[in-house]
Parts: sequence; C-alpha cells; structure tokens
Amino acid sequence: MGSVLAASAPNPPPTASGGIGAAPAPGMTVPPGFGIPSISPVAPTGQEQEADPPLPNPGAFDECHRKCKEVFPMQMEGVRLFVNKGLSNHFQVNHTLLLSTTGDSTYRFGATYVGTKQMGPAEFFPVIVGDMDNSGSLNAQIIHQVADRVRSKLAFQTQQNKFVNWQGDAEIKGEDFTATVTLGNPDVVVGSGIVVTHYLQSVTPALALGGELVYHRRPGEEGTVVSLVGRYTGSNYIATLTLGSAGAHASYYHRANEQLQLGVEYEASTRMQDTSVSFGYQLDVPKANLLFKGSVDSNWVVGATLEKKLLPLPLSLVLCTFLNHQKNKFQCGFGVTIG
Amino acid sequence: MAREPELSHTLHLSAVSPSYYRFHVEHLQSDDYSKDKDAPALIGEMDSSGSLNAHALLHLTERVRARTVFQTQQSQFVTWQFETEYRGNDFTAAVTVANPDIPRESVILVAHFLQSVSSGLVLGGELVYHRGRAEEGGILTLAGQYSRPNWVATLNAGKGGAHASYYHRASKQIQVGVEFEASTRTQETTTSFGYQMELPEANMVFRGMINSRCIIGGVLEKRLTPLPATLIMGAFVNHRGDKLQVGLGVNVG
Repeated sequence: MGSVLAASAPNPPPTASGGIGAAPAPGMTVPPGFGIPSISPVAPTGQEQEADPPLPNPGAFDECHRKCKEVFPMQMEGVRLFVNKGLSNHFQVNHTLLLSTTGDSTYRFGATYVGTKQMGPAEFFPVIVGDMDNSGSLNAQIIHQVADRVRSKLAFQTQQNKFVNWQGDAEIKGEDFTATVTLGNPDVVVGSGIVVTHYLQSVTPALALGGELVYHRRPGEEGTVVSLVGRYTGSNYIATLTLGSAGAHASYYHRANEQLQLGVEYEASTRMQDTSVSFGYQLDVPKANLLFKGSVDSNWVVGATLEKKLLPLPLSLVLCTFLNHQKNKFQCGFGVTIG
Repeated sequence: MAREPELSHTLHLSAVSPSYYRFHVEHLQSDDYSKDKDAPALIGEMDSSGSLNAHALLHLTERVRARTVFQTQQSQFVTWQFETEYRGNDFTAAVTVANPDIPRESVILVAHFLQSVSSGLVLGGELVYHRGRAEEGGILTLAGQYSRPNWVATLNAGKGGAHASYYHRASKQIQVGVEFEASTRTQETTTSFGYQMELPEANMVFRGMINSRCIIGGVLEKRLTPLPATLIMGAFVNHRGDKLQVGLGVNVG
C-alpha cells in the first residue's frame, strides 16, 4: 500500500475490507491518497487482507550499501595468518600475522568481550573490541545498549601513540525509523570537531528514505555536507542511491539464485572529479566448501578471491589475485585462517 | 613409433618483472632410439617478447649423441652451442663448442670427462677454455661423486670455486639436501639446507629451504583430484633485506 497516508503515521488506520483506503462518492474521481478512509464497525482482526502491516525498521544508515559491497572481493597481498580462539562464551582473542610484499609486516593482537545483557537472539551487550599492532597502534570500540531503543558506541583509534580518531555516537531505533548522531574528533581546546546526523525512515515496506547531515568545524572554517539516501528492496534485489553535494553513489544487489549473487556499483565524486563503475559477483558452493568472488572495474582492475574451508581441520584458505591492466600491476596473496 | 608433440602454454603474471606468455613444444624420440635413430628430439620454447629457446638432440650412433642449443633474447642470439657426447662402458666424455664467433675471434670450449672408478664412486673433470679478442684462459675443475642406496655426496673443486652437495633419502616421504657453494670470483660462500616432504595420500608435496643468506622459503604443491589441476603456493622471505615474495600457480594437465 504505497499511499501517502501510510507514510504520515507509523501505524496507519486499518481500512475496511471492501476498499483500499479511499471510498469516494460514485461519479467523483479522487486523486490517490486523498479519499476518506471508511471506518469499519467491526474491529479489525488479524485476518484482514487489507490491513497495513507495521513498517519494518530500515536498519542502520551505514548498512545501506553494505549488501552490495559484501559481494566484492577484498584485495590483499602477501601472506596472512589469522588465528581465532574463543576462550569462553564471552571472550575471544585473535592473532593476525601479515607478511607483506610491499609494506611492513605486522603482527596484530585483538580481543573481543561480549557482555551479559541480551537484546536479541544473538545480540549481547556491552561489546568491547580492541586490537593492538606491533607498532603500538590501537583500535578500540565499546558498543552498549544504553536504553531500550538507544544504542551507543565509543570508538578510538591511535597511530602508534597519537590519537587520530575518537568518536562517540548514539543510535535510536524507532519502530520504522533509525536516527544516529555521531560526534567525531571533538577538540574543545582547538575548537574543532565533526557532527554527523543520520536519519532513515521506512516509507513503505520496500522503500526507505533518509538523509545525512555532516557539519565539520575547524578554527577558521566550517561547513556542512548534506546527502539524501533512498533504498528499494525487492524480492531478491536491493537498489540503493545516495546523492549529495560530495557526489553520488548508486548500488544494485541481486540474488540470482542460492549460489550466485551479483552487485553493480557506481560512484561519482565531485571532489576528485571522477566516476567509477564496478561489477562483482559471488559464487557460493557450500557442497565444496568454496566461496568465489570476482570483480571487474572501470579502472581496468580485475580481481578474484577464492576461499575454501579445509575440513575436517578448522582451517580456511584464502587465495587472492588482483590485476590492474592500466598500470600493469599484479598483486597476489594468500591467507590461512585457523579457528 | 614417434610420439605426438607435447605442447604447453605458460602464462606468468608477475608483480616484480614483466609478465609473459610462453609456448613450449616437445617432440621427443621414441624410447627405442635404435630404430628411430635418424629422428632428432626437438624442444622449442617461444616467449611473448620473441625470445626463443631451442634444443635439438640427435643420436648419431649407439654411443655418440649430438646436441644443439640456441637461445635468443628477443631478436639477439645470446647462446648457440654444439655438443658431442660419447658414452663408453664406464665413462662419458663430452666436448662442447659454445658461442663460436669467427668475425670476433671468440669461442668457449668445454670438455667433460666422467669415469666410474668403483661401484659407487665416480671421478671426473671439466676443462673450460675461453678465448676472446683480447684475452684467453682455461679453468680446470675436478669432480667426484659417491653414491649409496640412500644418499649421494658430490664435490666439485677448481680454481673458480668449490661446490659440495649431499642428498639423503630419509624415508619414503622425506628427502633432505645440503649444499655448499664457494666462489673465488665473488668471494662468497653460501650454505643451503632443503627438504622435500611427499604425502601421496593427501596428494601433496612440500619443499622447504633455509639458507645462510637468511632466506627461508617454502613451496606447497597439491593435486586437486578429480580435476586434472595442480595448485602451487610458494613464499620466500629474505630476512636480511626484509623482503617477501609470494607466488600462486595452477598447472592444468
């Protein structure tokens, strides 16, 4: 029911079984959405065919393009060893050893703590995630459900001993909307900071519209960037469009069948004055414990990733190659994940 | 009966050197060479940049073999050599003429001789005579090899340096090798230790190597039955220069 009336109230009044919202007088044509909904004398029951189901929560703003991005292979080079060990139901640690052909090799130690407050079937709060590099760079995140509908996050990032990122945000998940306020790198001494507000509203069960407002301030200059987002979810596809003064980003995700997923992405940036189109696909063969991702880009970059679970060992092997035809550069890497 | 020529295509995508495509043809003689002795064994290889590598092997008589090798780098010939080998009952002698250049009056002559002294011991030598327009010289190297059922020890010693190697078959699955090289020209010595582990039940072969130049490497080869393909993964780390090299390969057929 894509009527404008439905958008104005979270729980639209249920219509009578006979009409679809408007019951105009015979002979009179009413523009859609402007009729008077007829009130049924009988209280509506669950078997009402025309009852509007409550609109679903649209999810987080950052997740809009996520489904499409997950189809694309991730570029990696060198040799990577990842060991993941769960010490208890609440605590797990991981070690990452990355031997790189181009840059520096690193060892990273990470720990994840999951608390006891349960909010959903697999959601426990607070979640504390941290990892530290061999050069001392730290990444830390604390996510906690502060109130019934409010989730808060604090994130810190350092480069060796210097803080490069410190931000806090609060996310309110309403019945059919999500609002987030993020305060990034606030510096009271210098007088600089970034405030980002996101708002995403379910307009129909399939359509979600929203916007993002970024306000950044530095001593001497301040500015805002506004962008609007729209997402349409079909039976087996998701189309998302983000438009703003910084550029445009459109993505289309399609699930062809149980094994094949496709994604097409278009990005245009006004700052760098260039556009790029990427096509990616993911082939899932669970019988062979295989996951293959391939991508082709308008920058003449072709890449593929092959992930294979080596049962019965708790081992997973990842092979990755990327070829940049334009710059004539070739990159290959493989990794082993244990646990 | 001559066999069909064997073809192989190699596509090499490299991060450090130029990528290339190579085409390789082998037309080998049949096993019973006495019937087909007039047919030479031909091996040829051509690169996507035009570099050619050609070998021709001809059995002149039952004991005498002749071999020709041509190598070009794009369009320029870098190697052209002709070799004759005589196989006696317990000795082998070979003479090679390499890069004979009459206008420039340069040539390299190599003579090899290997003699079986006892059931396990083989002794021999190599004499290299090189001549250019301005200089000429000769290098003599002596060689000895002692083999037993499970191990082989080899030593080459001469004015240019020494090269000693030891190969040991520890079990059906594990083979081990140690190599020592010393060169008087570059004034360097290198010791390497390598091993090969075969796991036929897992269709896997692993080769590892560690070196006195602080280079550690490993190559894993796995046959992906039922596909007629082999997956090769290799990584070499040079700890001294802090460099890592990674490679992936697939052999089909």
